[in-house]
Amino acid sequence: MKIKAKNLTFVASIASIYVVLTVLFAPISYGWIQFRVSEALTILPFFTPLAIPGLTIGVLIANIFSQAGIPDMIFGPLATLIAAIMTSKIKNKWLVPIPPILVNAIIIGIMLGVLFSSEISIPLAILWVGVGEFGVLYLLGMPLLLALEKRKDIFEKYND
Amino acid sequence: MNLSQYMVIGRYIPGNSYIHLLDARSKLIFVFLYIFLVFLTNSILGYLILLSFIIIGILISKIPISYYVKGIMPIFLIILFTIILHLTTNKAGDLVFQWKWIEIYSQGIEQAVFITLRLLILVIIASMLTLTTSPIDLTMGLERILNPLKRVNLPIHELALMMSISLRFIPTLVDEADKIMKAQKARGANFETGPIHKRVINMIAIIIPLFISAFKRADELAIAMESRGYRGGEGRTRLRVSVFTWRDLLLLLIFSVLLITILSIRGL
Repeated sequence: MKIKAKNLTFVASIASIYVVLTVLFAPISYGWIQFRVSEALTILPFFTPLAIPGLTIGVLIANIFSQAGIPDMIFGPLATLIAAIMTSKIKNKWLVPIPPILVNAIIIGIMLGVLFSSEISIPLAILWVGVGEFGVLYLLGMPLLLALEKRKDIFEKYND
Repeated sequence: MNLSQYMVIGRYIPGNSYIHLLDARSKLIFVFLYIFLVFLTNSILGYLILLSFIIIGILISKIPISYYVKGIMPIFLIILFTIILHLTTNKAGDLVFQWKWIEIYSQGIEQAVFITLRLLILVIIASMLTLTTSPIDLTMGLERILNPLKRVNLPIHELALMMSISLRFIPTLVDEADKIMKAQKARGANFETGPIHKRVINMIAIIIPLFISAFKRADELAIAMESRGYRGGEGRTRLRVSVFTWRDLLLLLIFSVLLITILSIRGL
């Protein structure tokens, strides 16, 4: 497989934007009641498939700082990867936030529920992660998507 | 306050200390195993051993301690938030402190201390890795560790490169985000007051310019790479190839001792 230099650096820049947004708004980005602003970026695969590896790498780096540790560094990127692949297949823009909400709620919710079993039950963890994701994606992700729709040209040159 | 000053992870300080001269592969594997050890530990003694080991590392790395302190700053709020969360929600163990509706239990304190130490150790070790390893070495190390995965057709060279470029971009983009925030505030944007949903929507005024500037930088980097003849991983040779030396062997020995110590403390 041959990847062009411009696509390669583009993927890297998406990953670092994810990390920067996560760390800038850090205290609310981790834990079972999380409101991770950077999750708004999970709408990006709607515009370009290059966002799939970009987001996955971003989550991997961002989760180094997670209190849930190694599990979060494995399941976080995994959940993002699955959600991003699903998102890239969606055609209706209003449904774009659905995969990240559902996939993260289930995978991350179960993970946090198991890890912090003394503090929170699994169904509750799923609910909390889901609520956080729902909030970020419809409050911030959707307006971001609508704003980016007007600037589709940014992504076009990477899609060949 | 300049935010990028506090973003230590992803920054490299050249030097020739023992840690600088280690093979990048050993460092990467060591950090990974060390993080694993941190999560294996379940006693205060274990954490103190791991922490003192890190402090020795800081001294050997010959990198000013201020860099590490700065590295901890961004996660200070996370730590504070987690401490409060654990103190107030964990109701196991004995009641230690009570004031009106605030009740603090011994397990809560224990958990709070553990998590604080854990986060401190994680951030310091991650900063130490990037502070002492140049991005080139880091990429090469990662690539060589993951090399076996090439058999299943994964573009390992590209993935390793993407990862180290994004690490390198982090401090730059934090700086950029800071500038954008100030510029938007000067134009009258409001990120600090008002209802939460309004504040969230206002963040778009940061995110979109951040996108544009990051993509521009990415393009410039791609042009620079191509004009220097970058053609992907195939047939690429290296100016410096790091090899496994006595230093790496020593690190392996140190790690084994550490592992045995932690395991025996756990067993007690």
